[in-house]
Amino acid sequence: MKQEFYDTLSSPILWGVLLLAALLPFALSSYYLHIVTLALVYVALASSWNIVGGMAGQVSLAHSLFIGIGAMLSSALLLKLGINMWLGLVISAVISGVLGAMIAWIDFRFQLGHLSFVLITLAFAEMGAIVVEGWEFLGGASGMLLPKDTGDFLAFQFGGGSGSFWVMLTLAAVCVLVNVAILNAPLGFYLRTIRDNEKAAQAIGVNVLRYKITAMVISAVLASVVGTAYVRYLTFADPYLLISPVITIEIVLFATVGGLGRAYGPALGALLLVPLGEVLRGKLGSALPGLHYFIYGVVVIAVILATPRGLLPLFERQWERWRRS
Amino acid sequence: MTFLTVDNVTKRFGGLVALNAIGFSVAQGEIVGIIGPNGAGKTTLFGVISGFITPSEGEVSYDGHSILGISPDRLVWRGLMRSFQIVQSFADMTALDVVTTAALTRRPMREAIDYAAAALLRVGLGGKELKMPLTLSLQDKKLLELAKCIATDPRCILLDEVMAGLTMSETAAPIAVIQELNRQGVTIVMVEHVMPVIMRLATRIVVINFGEKIAEGTPEEILKDQRVIDAYFGDHIDA
Ligand SMILES: Nc1ncnc2c1ncn2[C@@H]1O[C@H](COP(=O)(O)OP(=O)(O)O)[C@@H](O)[C@H]1O
Ligand SMILES: [Mg+2]
Repeated sequence: MKQEFYDTLSSPILWGVLLLAALLPFALSSYYLHIVTLALVYVALASSWNIVGGMAGQVSLAHSLFIGIGAMLSSALLLKLGINMWLGLVISAVISGVLGAMIAWIDFRFQLGHLSFVLITLAFAEMGAIVVEGWEFLGGASGMLLPKDTGDFLAFQFGGGSGSFWVMLTLAAVCVLVNVAILNAPLGFYLRTIRDNEKAAQAIGVNVLRYKITAMVISAVLASVVGTAYVRYLTFADPYLLISPVITIEIVLFATVGGLGRAYGPALGALLLVPLGEVLRGKLGSALPGLHYFIYGVVVIAVILATPRGLLPLFERQWERWRRS
Repeated sequence: MTFLTVDNVTKRFGGLVALNAIGFSVAQGEIVGIIGPNGAGKTTLFGVISGFITPSEGEVSYDGHSILGISPDRLVWRGLMRSFQIVQSFADMTALDVVTTAALTRRPMREAIDYAAAALLRVGLGGKELKMPLTLSLQDKKLLELAKCIATDPRCILLDEVMAGLTMSETAAPIAVIQELNRQGVTIVMVEHVMPVIMRLATRIVVINFGEKIAEGTPEEILKDQRVIDAYFGDHIDA
């Protein structure tokens, strides 16, 4: 592990920001608290996707599969079999990890190019959606309603509001720190060489299959855990939200706008775009249907055209200037 | 004791025979030069030895074991390292990052960074650690290939035209590095067009043409071989 990781962990800035963020529930109305909580869900999801999509450069559209397993399977286990949701979280994460490993293996075994990888992972995601919608056990097309969140921690309940916010804040912080850790560990070096040039990576001793699998498993497990926490927050296990490839598209968008492959890039993208989308919808949604989508789209296109490597480099330059002065 | 043996290797690309029943062996600690006109099959031969290309027929053994079917990264781990003729660069990593990845083959993270910096210094790339490989000059890109090789602590390296395109004076640094590696016991097989360099470094030379070995011997013997003169030097005079 490079020293930078320990520096980050012991940085007063990190802990200061987290502490200030943890105080937000005391300052925000429940509407804005909801928006920030939602943003944190996407910080966690986009950061978990970044490990495969950004660092290893493999645009995986299978992320909704892992989020969906985390959400729908843990809900089904609780509602249909009475299995505690903490245990459901672990079971779902293990299954997601195994599926992730399988997808990475298929990619390597059949030497899928970039486009085939995108399509195969999309096929897995679609298959997941079809299985959920067609199988009553997983809630079918109508989804499942979880019991009311009474704040019973042992039953994976956090009381909604500030409790759920703190859970999401923790998950978001963990996902971002996992990104920092990987980028400062051998795995980060391996993934970046794999992204840039698989053949040349092998020629300097990188075991491409092993690290592709490792990246995919970490990414899938994190996504699944966030999926379980997200469904608990929503209370309604909605298949059209939680296991639809649309959620992956949003995640890819946030990560790209923020800065692919960078530790804080996807988090930045989600923190800016989720509130923007929600506020636009709240303010304009009733005025002219679809207008908020249009404005949102224009903003995203403008950012990508203006700074193809994402917003993070801009922020970093500003930060440097600020530190020097 | 032979260290690296290529035995009767044939490689066909569709109808094209890139390597035709080629065979030779290299002893530990030797510097062997491979020469031959463009398209003779030299790069293909390195591809086969380093595990990137599966031969149609034949056998390759290294350090007493057959290595056919073993992946390139496993071979690097076992000390067999190659450089690429067409310099392979990584788009979004600094020179130091790339060489550090190579050094991670045998070292933990912190050590690997220092070791990579030392390897860059050794090949003459000191001060260019944070440059992007794509922005380096051709000479520096070739030196970077060499630094990657060193960083993995190889026992045998295959160098594919690391000096092509360099001026005589620019070859001094890589030559010194190769000689020093060899003194430390590293076996070297090198493809090179720069004749004075290969004549000076190699203890033995293998000449290939149209995928076949046409001669093998000391640099002096090779220079006198009529078939080599016809196939190789004749080719250059014509061109
Ligand atoms: N992947 C490949 N597919 C088809 N033909 C190839 C391939 N690689 C090399 N060749 C052909 O094999 C022959 C030998 O090429 P190469 O090994 O690159 O020669 P050299 O390195 O000696 O110049 C050439 O005719 C080349 O066009
Ligand atoms: Mg060649």
